[in-house]
Amino acid sequence: MKVRAMKRTKHSTSAAILLLTAALGAGGAAQAAGDEDARLNALQKQLEQLQATLQQLADENKALREHEKEVDRKLAALGAPAGGAAAPALAQAAPAPNAAALPGSSALPNSPALPTASALPPGSAMPADTSTPGGNPLGTFSNGLRLWGYGEVYYTLPTSARQESQFDLARAVFGIGYKFDDRTEFNSEYEVEHAVASADDVGEFEVEQFYVDRRLNDAVTVRAGLFLMPFGLLNEHHEPTNFYGVQRNFVETLIIPSTWREGGFNLHGDTAAGFSWNVGLTTGFDLSKWDFAPEFPPYRNALDLEDSDTAPLQASHQELALANARHLSQYLALGYYGVPGLTLGAAISTGDAVPVPAPPNAPIPGNQRVTLWEAHARWMPSRWDLSALYARGTISNAGLANASNPGSPNPIPASFYGYYFQGAYELWSHGDYKLNPFVRWERYNMGASYDGTTGPVIPVGEVPLSAAPGDYGLWPANHDRVWTLGANFYIGPHLVLKTDYQWFQENVNFKRFDLGLGVAF
Amino acid sequence: MLREGLRAAALPGVLPMLLLAGCGGGGDGGGGETPAPPALTAKAVAGKALFFDTSLSASGRQSCGTCHVPSRAFTADPATDHGLPVPLGGRNMDLPGFRNAPSLMYAFLTPGFFLDQGTPTGGFFRDGRASSLAVQAQQPFVTEFEMANQDAAEVLSRLQASTASLQAFVTAFGESVLSDPTATLAAMGEAIAAYETEDPGFAPFSSKYDYWLQGQAQLTSQELAGLALFNNPGKGNCTACHPSQRQGYSDHALFTDFTYDNIGVPRNWNIAANFAHPVSPISGVPLDYVPGQSNVPAAAEYAYYDMGLCGPFAPPANDPNPRRSFQTTTTLCGVFKVPTLRNIALTAPYFHNGEFPSLHKVLQWYVTRDINNNTGNNPTPVPAGPGGNPYFPVGTAYVNADGTPDLLQYNDLPVDYDANVNIGEIPYTPPSFAGGQAPTLTAAEIDQVVAFLCTLTDGFDPKNPAAYNVPAQCQAGAP
Repeated sequence: MKVRAMKRTKHSTSAAILLLTAALGAGGAAQAAGDEDARLNALQKQLEQLQATLQQLADENKALREHEKEVDRKLAALGAPAGGAAAPALAQAAPAPNAAALPGSSALPNSPALPTASALPPGSAMPADTSTPGGNPLGTFSNGLRLWGYGEVYYTLPTSARQESQFDLARAVFGIGYKFDDRTEFNSEYEVEHAVASADDVGEFEVEQFYVDRRLNDAVTVRAGLFLMPFGLLNEHHEPTNFYGVQRNFVETLIIPSTWREGGFNLHGDTAAGFSWNVGLTTGFDLSKWDFAPEFPPYRNALDLEDSDTAPLQASHQELALANARHLSQYLALGYYGVPGLTLGAAISTGDAVPVPAPPNAPIPGNQRVTLWEAHARWMPSRWDLSALYARGTISNAGLANASNPGSPNPIPASFYGYYFQGAYELWSHGDYKLNPFVRWERYNMGASYDGTTGPVIPVGEVPLSAAPGDYGLWPANHDRVWTLGANFYIGPHLVLKTDYQWFQENVNFKRFDLGLGVAF
Repeated sequence: MLREGLRAAALPGVLPMLLLAGCGGGGDGGGGETPAPPALTAKAVAGKALFFDTSLSASGRQSCGTCHVPSRAFTADPATDHGLPVPLGGRNMDLPGFRNAPSLMYAFLTPGFFLDQGTPTGGFFRDGRASSLAVQAQQPFVTEFEMANQDAAEVLSRLQASTASLQAFVTAFGESVLSDPTATLAAMGEAIAAYETEDPGFAPFSSKYDYWLQGQAQLTSQELAGLALFNNPGKGNCTACHPSQRQGYSDHALFTDFTYDNIGVPRNWNIAANFAHPVSPISGVPLDYVPGQSNVPAAAEYAYYDMGLCGPFAPPANDPNPRRSFQTTTTLCGVFKVPTLRNIALTAPYFHNGEFPSLHKVLQWYVTRDINNNTGNNPTPVPAGPGGNPYFPVGTAYVNADGTPDLLQYNDLPVDYDANVNIGEIPYTPPSFAGGQAPTLTAAEIDQVVAFLCTLTDGFDPKNPAAYNVPAQCQAGAP
């Protein structure tokens, strides 16, 4: 909607210029005497300038039309706004009906900004979105400045350990973007986790994204800074309105370490046929602080599991906080969205990690290479939203380090993987209300194989869970199969109420009931 | 060929990778000629002379090296201390100290005292009361029951008369410093600290374990199993305080995290200060230097307790960066700094009060501390035998001076501070332990852990493994 509105403005401007040109021409014919030559010369120069201006406007109009087609194509691929059967992400990907009423939008006609892809809602849930931060339906525009935000509140009740129930403002995120010109823009997101971030509190304050995009031409954009990695269905689109379930799925948390971001640069673009591509050079992982000897279980329930940063890549990602850049990683992500309602994608990242520690008189030859790849599909026929994802990672050359730490409950895995299948259905809608129940089955294994050890040495029976006297429990397994049954209830595209229940096959005591509130704008 | 041997026997899956590494050349890994150690600086040369100079003591028979014997990983030798767990000193060498002398090996890698997010960490002496090795090294010169000089001036006069160390001291610091006794004592501390820092003998990292890491030695299955138990959080869990993984204080694992813990070690009745009217076990003279303690509750069983961080010993008066006092922080009463386990097999007896004579006894006590050792902790003691304490018959671990069972819980700590004792971590198994009160290590597993601890003894020569100076308690069949 916003794109079209801006385009009308440009058409109007072109017409005015034509009228002005005609008027100037008529005026010139009436001046026939005296300094006619000088006037003719002046008029000729004016005409030449106008012709150049017209040509420029014509070129811009052409570019706009092409871009509009591209945008329509992307939107169509995501299921189109019409029909009301769109998945949550689709509702956001569609041009928001109230976009024109957003504060600041009236400033756009005077803005030099052109309605490029970046004028779309920031983070529109487009496959392999290459221009905007993740998942926000709308931004507030004012002379290129854009603000957005999202957040989520959880209530979690582990039904086998009710004393561990929690109510948490899991994250509050605000984004700031600025569009410098039609080809250059900046985006950033800032996140507060767990409500209070201080030295004495559990919360964190993080810069989640901080990058600039420069469109080199219609086909290629270059991005540099701290950006989200284009892996899976959730990492780039992790706003609560974009996924089913109160918490993010385990595979895209423990295997793909969402929210996974790296520093570096990439080149990305789309083709007319509906293919997207993204190739980049980024910081990699850091194994130098790997903890082979956690004394206590690093997590004691499902919520801990997701927050504990103990999954292989959670424990080693650097988040551009004084990141060691001795080794860089490369990645490639490809997507296809040429068939309406269908999204296919795959990505791979590989690179040497900051090596595991070894004494100076006993160095470990070679480096540890960390590789992660994934493939995903999402299909949204009618009211259905079906998706599946497989992700697998490997860490090479960790055998010596593991062998040096026999008995470790947390050796470095040689491989780890996870996959899930998920189905959702828009069961009911009325006005801006929608109810989407879903079911998901997922399997994850954070230590599918090991070198240098037969695997983690997990204490048998109940052990201390902390140094607090009497705090005992089982040391959880690092793999599981999980059923999730729940529903998202949307109140417009920006608010969602969620509920789910999860059953765990291995860590049976992790089963939990969740309630959540999510907001994204 | 450098790392091929590493763990190959126990870990065949690793072997191909190791072979590849060898083919790739790798580094020397310690297998080539050992480079000559760098020459000591003049300060360190002076420090070495001072360290072994007995003429600097009032008795003329005691130096730093008397209580920190190089062949014992720089700890005391009970044989020269009449079998006592604490060194003797004083003008007549008849005054016992309060604590088992700690090893000086790797001591220079200790961080200065700090609170790591509230957790006391580092510092010198077992209670961290000295801010540096140099400050620590000065104190025995003027301690009544050690080298027993009355003050820095007396130390200076002895130094000026010393044929063993004066010349080296002057070479390092010049003569002018000798005009100031306090400055001289400070310089002596500085010199000794330089020696303990520069001399590679204090940190050779030459244990069998180190060579195993390099692939130049193989741990036996017994030793390897011991390391696994050491690391296993459900069995030994030793690594929780004695990390086998480096911690940032060194590029090597130091087997200490330099934190403090209260583990409820039994009172040692071989320490004279523990008696109501302490006298020298050698000469019978009263020990007037046993300090009074304002933070011992009136209801306590005894008048004197060694409570580590909270006293009775205060930071040295001449410490330019004195540690804060924890005398009133009673929750820290009874905590002592976690020692390194490198060379632990050489440094018996064990713990701050030298209560246990062997590593086997230490481990047996660790895993059964809370099993029928005292009625205060376990009101319904289980008789020795299946389900009971296989190592300490009821009432034999915590005893009174006369050897009868002490019914109080953790008898080397005022009962008011019993809650300070660590009961939350394995290998402790308090009555509330959900895993039951069976020891977390069996007798065979204790043997394995001890076998591993013995591999932490420096001086292994991969070219001549048979020459390894294996401590007596590491021999097969040791108790």
